[in-house]
Amino acid sequence: MKGTFDTLITAKSNPFRLNLKETTKYKDLIWLFVQRDFKTKYKQTILGPLWFVIQPLLTTFIFTIVFGKIAKLSTDGVPQFLFYLAGNVPWLFFSSCLNRTSATFYENVRIFGRVYFPRIAVPISTVITCFFNFLIQFIMFVAIDIILILIGANVQITWYAMLFPLLILQLGVLGMGVGIIISSLTVKYRDLQVLVSFGVQLWMYISPVVYSVASIENSTLKTLVMINPVSPAIEFMRAGWLGVGTTNWMYLGIGLAVTAVIAFVGLVIFNKTEKNFMDKI
Amino acid sequence: MEREVAIQIQGLTKEYRLGVIGSGTLQRDIQSWWARLRHKEDPNKKVGSKNYGKNETFTALDGLNLTVYKGERLGIIGRNGAGKSTLLKIISRITSPTKGTIGINGRVSSMLEVGTGFHGELTGRENIYLNGAILGMTKAEVNSKIDKIIEFSEIEQFIDTPVKRYSSGMYVKLAFSVAAHLNSEIMIMDEVLAVGDLAFQKKCLDKMGDVSREEGRTILYVSHNMETIRRLCDRCVVLDKGKIVFNGDVERAIKIYSSI
Repeated sequence: MKGTFDTLITAKSNPFRLNLKETTKYKDLIWLFVQRDFKTKYKQTILGPLWFVIQPLLTTFIFTIVFGKIAKLSTDGVPQFLFYLAGNVPWLFFSSCLNRTSATFYENVRIFGRVYFPRIAVPISTVITCFFNFLIQFIMFVAIDIILILIGANVQITWYAMLFPLLILQLGVLGMGVGIIISSLTVKYRDLQVLVSFGVQLWMYISPVVYSVASIENSTLKTLVMINPVSPAIEFMRAGWLGVGTTNWMYLGIGLAVTAVIAFVGLVIFNKTEKNFMDKI
Repeated sequence: MEREVAIQIQGLTKEYRLGVIGSGTLQRDIQSWWARLRHKEDPNKKVGSKNYGKNETFTALDGLNLTVYKGERLGIIGRNGAGKSTLLKIISRITSPTKGTIGINGRVSSMLEVGTGFHGELTGRENIYLNGAILGMTKAEVNSKIDKIIEFSEIEQFIDTPVKRYSSGMYVKLAFSVAAHLNSEIMIMDEVLAVGDLAFQKKCLDKMGDVSREEGRTILYVSHNMETIRRLCDRCVVLDKGKIVFNGDVERAIKIYSSI
């Protein structure tokens, strides 16, 4: 084709060209999606944004009764409620990123079928929304943490707390990476969506949310749990804000590498899917 | 003087596979695949339905060539299933072609539906920002035009009310006002004017025509309403079975369309 064009539409395109530059032009759109999600979620509700903190508090309360009082799992000397909260808050962030981005194509068929914009804008805005939810929950956690330290609980904040931004970034990127892979596959196979809801439940049990890695006696089992890229993130979080946790740099490095690979694979599959998914969904 | 090209389409073909593409669940697909492997009857096949081969396809667009120049208002007409919407979808990058290429100069805004992405819980004003961004405007661009958009929509009184409380007419007016104020060089419209009252339809068409003449904006317009085609377009193509059967004068195009 002669002449130069701003945009060239062809039958085959390179899935490794990720168009990240184009996506940055849509930052206003991403931001407006985030605002939309916040504004619309709690309209016409009684408690409104209070739900952000009620959810983790309630689940942590149940964990404390079931795993703390009934099963009597070790919490390494940390007050049980605080121990479970420290695992639960980052876990909820990760699982909400995964769950909500995994429905990207399915839930946006209407809008995707009418107008073009880089589809990745939707999962990115979803993760940002989840991050703000998390931030509110995290501030609540830190407040409870500091109060307990002041009244003399066996808890301390350590230098590992500085790793917090890296760990949260990792959990967000990992959740989104797995989520967009699933969302791309569910274009053709709807039943994978069912798999997600209980798959995430099962994933929680191989992550140190209701137990600590230090309390696992079997060393093979311990390795298996630490290979899970979510585990080092949660353990390092606990080490930072509670002073207990298995801080193994090698597993953290493996976790970060696995996250990077999954995110890259996710972007490529997503990019390939968005071209033609309207014909298949 | 050589005219500037806005869109150049070469050998554009779009094929769709016939029959069912998979069953939608992994388990059944594996079942069917296993049955085919043993040359058995597919357990998931509907009784009496035809067996489609892997290469049986429906050609929605068949080697289309078309050049659209900057500032043209091109009407596209044809019967249902002629390939009009498929063509617009490919140019808007909603789906990709099977063969062929399209070169585009300038930003494209597609209005295949009014009010894409409107959210019922948001107010009219909030929806202007959201819809504008979805159609490719930046926040600053919307800011500079918001007063004009609200004025054009004729619903200033309700602009801070959630759109779920709007009547369908108000909804369309608001949505169309956003679209009419886009900055993009190429606008793609599919029957969007089929809604709203006559006076507002006329106002929209005139607005579209004006911006096209003044700013050299290119418009691709698909409609079954010949009155609106006459009003807006200065060239027209007739599509039939995925091919262009006529390309040129609007009146002659309409005559040919009514004879096929």
